[in-house]
Amino acid sequence: MSASIDLAAFAGTDPILTLAREVFSAMIDPDPAALRPWTGDVPALVEATYAWVDLGGETPGRVLLTTERATATRLTRGLLGLADDEPVEDADLVDAFGEIANVLGGNVKSLVPDPGALTLPTVAATSPAGPVPDLLHEVRLDWRGDVLVIALWSLS
Amino acid sequence: MRALVIDDSRTMRRIIVGVLRSLGFETLEAADGREALDLLESGVSVDLACIDWNMPVMNGLEFVVAVRAHREWRDVTLMMVTTESEHGQIVRALAAGAHEYLIKPFTADAIREKLQLLGLVEWEVSA
Repeated sequence: MSASIDLAAFAGTDPILTLAREVFSAMIDPDPAALRPWTGDVPALVEATYAWVDLGGETPGRVLLTTERATATRLTRGLLGLADDEPVEDADLVDAFGEIANVLGGNVKSLVPDPGALTLPTVAATSPAGPVPDLLHEVRLDWRGDVLVIALWSLS
Repeated sequence: MRALVIDDSRTMRRIIVGVLRSLGFETLEAADGREALDLLESGVSVDLACIDWNMPVMNGLEFVVAVRAHREWRDVTLMMVTTESEHGQIVRALAAGAHEYLIKPFTADAIREKLQLLGLVEWEVSA
C-alpha cells in the first residue's frame, strides 16, 4: 500500500505524521506543537488499546492505532471537549478512539489510487487477530508525553 | 432551523451537534441512513441533514439517493460530512444530490463556512 502513496505531495514529510497533525489540530488538540515524533524507544504500554480500519481494493491494508488506555481516555476527552477530570464511559472511549482510526484511515485511503471500501472501525484490548500482515510504515508519536503508534499494514 | 445529524459514531454526532447548536440549530440525531429515513417518514421535517458516508445498515450515499427520490423532501439541504475524500467520491455524492461536502477532520469554523455558503447561516458583517 505505501508504495502507491504519492509521497512527493508531502514535500519530504511523513504523510501519516502530516495527517495525524491535521486530525489532532482540527479536532483534538489545537496546539500544533503538542504532537511530535516520539524520540527513543517506545516503552511497554500499560493496558494497550488498539483501533483499526481496513481498506479494501487492489492494495488492501490496515491502519492501526496503538496507545495506552489512559491515553485513549485523554484523546476521548479532547475529541468531546471534556474537562481533564471528567469521567469517560467505556462506550465513549471505544467510539472516540475508533473514530480517530476512521478519520485517519479515510484520509490514508485518499492517498491510495483506486482504493476499495473502508471498514467500520474496530477497537479492542488486543491486537487484530488473523494472519500476521506485513508492516509497511509506522509512525511513533508523542502527544504531550503520551505515546501513540500509527501503523500501516499490508493485507495482500 | 432544524438539522438532522446522521453518523454511526456518537462522538462525531456530539461534535457536530455541538457546533450546530452554537449556530442556533435545533438538532436531531440518527445512527445510520435507515434510522434517518424513518425519522423523515414519520413526518419530522428538517432543513439540513449532515450525513456520514460509511455507516452500517444504510450508508450516507444511499440515504442521499433515497431522499432525492421523494419530492416532499426536496427542500432538505444535504451535506456530506465524511472521511471519504477522493475526488471521485465527492463527485458521486454531489451527483446523487448532496449540496455540500465536508471532509473529516474539520473545525467548527469549517462547518459554519459551509453553512454560510449554503445560505443556512448568515455571514458575519465586520464593523
